[in-house]
Amino acid sequence: MEFNSINFFLFFVAFFVIYHIFYKRCKIQNWILLIFSYLFYGIADLKMIPVIAVMTIMTYFLGLKIEDFVQKDNKKANRFAMFSAVLCLLPLLYFKYFNFFIDSFAQLFSALGFNTEISTFQILMPLGISFFTFRLVSYVLEINRRKMSAERDFVAFAAYVAFFPCIMAGPIDRPNKFLPQLKTVRKTDYSFLTEGVKMFVWGWFTKVCIADRMGEYVDAVFNNYQDYGALSIGIATLLYPLQMYADFSGYSNMAIGIGRLAGLEVAENFRRPFFAQNVAEYWRRWHISLTGWLTDYVFMPLNIKFRDLGNLGLILAVVINLVTVGFWHGANWTFGFFGLFHGLLFIPLILSGKMNKKAKITWLGGWLISPTNLLKMGLTYLLVATALLFFRSESMSAAFSTIAQCFTGLGSMCNVGGKKIFLFSLMILLAKDYLDEGKFKFSILKTEKPLWLDLQLIALIIFIVIFRGDAVKEFIYMQF
Amino acid sequence: MEKSEILSQVTEIFRDVLDNEEIVLTDTTTANDIEEWDSLSHIQLIVAIEKDFKIKFTSAEILSWKNVGEMIDNISKKLA
Repeated sequence: MEFNSINFFLFFVAFFVIYHIFYKRCKIQNWILLIFSYLFYGIADLKMIPVIAVMTIMTYFLGLKIEDFVQKDNKKANRFAMFSAVLCLLPLLYFKYFNFFIDSFAQLFSALGFNTEISTFQILMPLGISFFTFRLVSYVLEINRRKMSAERDFVAFAAYVAFFPCIMAGPIDRPNKFLPQLKTVRKTDYSFLTEGVKMFVWGWFTKVCIADRMGEYVDAVFNNYQDYGALSIGIATLLYPLQMYADFSGYSNMAIGIGRLAGLEVAENFRRPFFAQNVAEYWRRWHISLTGWLTDYVFMPLNIKFRDLGNLGLILAVVINLVTVGFWHGANWTFGFFGLFHGLLFIPLILSGKMNKKAKITWLGGWLISPTNLLKMGLTYLLVATALLFFRSESMSAAFSTIAQCFTGLGSMCNVGGKKIFLFSLMILLAKDYLDEGKFKFSILKTEKPLWLDLQLIALIIFIVIFRGDAVKEFIYMQF
Repeated sequence: MEKSEILSQVTEIFRDVLDNEEIVLTDTTTANDIEEWDSLSHIQLIVAIEKDFKIKFTSAEILSWKNVGEMIDNISKKLA
């Protein structure tokens, strides 16, 4: 059930009414949240309800046990927390990577001259498993780090794990930020809710008017790259990061908006990534809830472990972290290479001490970005687009063939997709980001007046209704 | 070594590593209170503290600190 479908609209209206009837009765609201979340997840894939239910019950008890150990014996607590984290990760590893490991081993053995007759079997990955698994792992590790106590209220905990706006593709909320919200009266102040509506509509706009439309062009080129040359492939490569941004930030904004309508603050996921001056800054602005998670649970422990190695230790920690980011997207060498490519781009930044430096944009006359900053933004964008070419490809050989195809000549221009609509919509998106980045007072998402008098919102909805694509299309990040 | 002595020695290390003479640490100071204190300088601070006090923390200890006070307690325990 996509957020931009009629079915979801009806589902949400039912939820919204029932949920707010019980205003100030937190426990009942958590029950409603839990039931609707399981309903939402069950409609998508009924078979997977037992997986999430069993994992939630298991992690609930693991959390209590870890807390018990933390109070008595630190060493035992550490060991038990590691064991718990691995236990939480096992289903993800099985569903997502099992065939990949078997295939890779079989290939390795046959390359070494051994005869292998290992066959893999069809494993269907449960939707959203990468996202709720990360919520569970975060929960057990935070208790062990004494940053929070184990949750006693099972319904609140289960609602946190299965929270329907975020279960399919994030943002990945942290337990210590999200659970306390389920224990208090939900926010219902006017600007909080109306900004939720606006964030939802804004996300809907970037998804259907930009991502879906642009996707038609990008898919047509990348899926038939043999028919095109440097011109179309070059344009598709340059458009793909924007398509991803419009799609994934669109999804995230819709999830944040829905969360707000339930009176809950969902984690931020994007902060105008294409204003980044270098790749390190790009990762502080792109898919923030995932990179923040990995920074805390992969990068920091590695960086601490390797701390006596100086820059070499830092490089190792960064590269391992980014390769993990890559493989998190799926079991394919293209994702691993995507991560490695980014990791290697960090090396010059680490050696020059620029990795964590905040690269401030100089605004000429208060509203124009300086040419040096523009150049750095452009270069960063090109590097990101190149890495995403591998990310988008079916296999490493397909990625290299696509690149090789560019050297066969300019080729013809691909004529698929409503270019005028997505280009116009894209200009609106970039203008909004420009205004937000420049800290200009004007922001599309802020609202003081009644919603039905908000002209920007009304114009946006009319625009969406007229110019959206014909079919409801899946969000890219659902597959991860 | 008294905890107050440890605190003043750690403050010196912070000022030196983060290159900011105005830093004043208390037990409740966290990374949010000092602009230069990020995930990278955090590691540099730990390496400098370990060298200065001739101690070695475990990863779990480092990851469990909530503020400067807990770090000082940890150092004091190691020196005892």
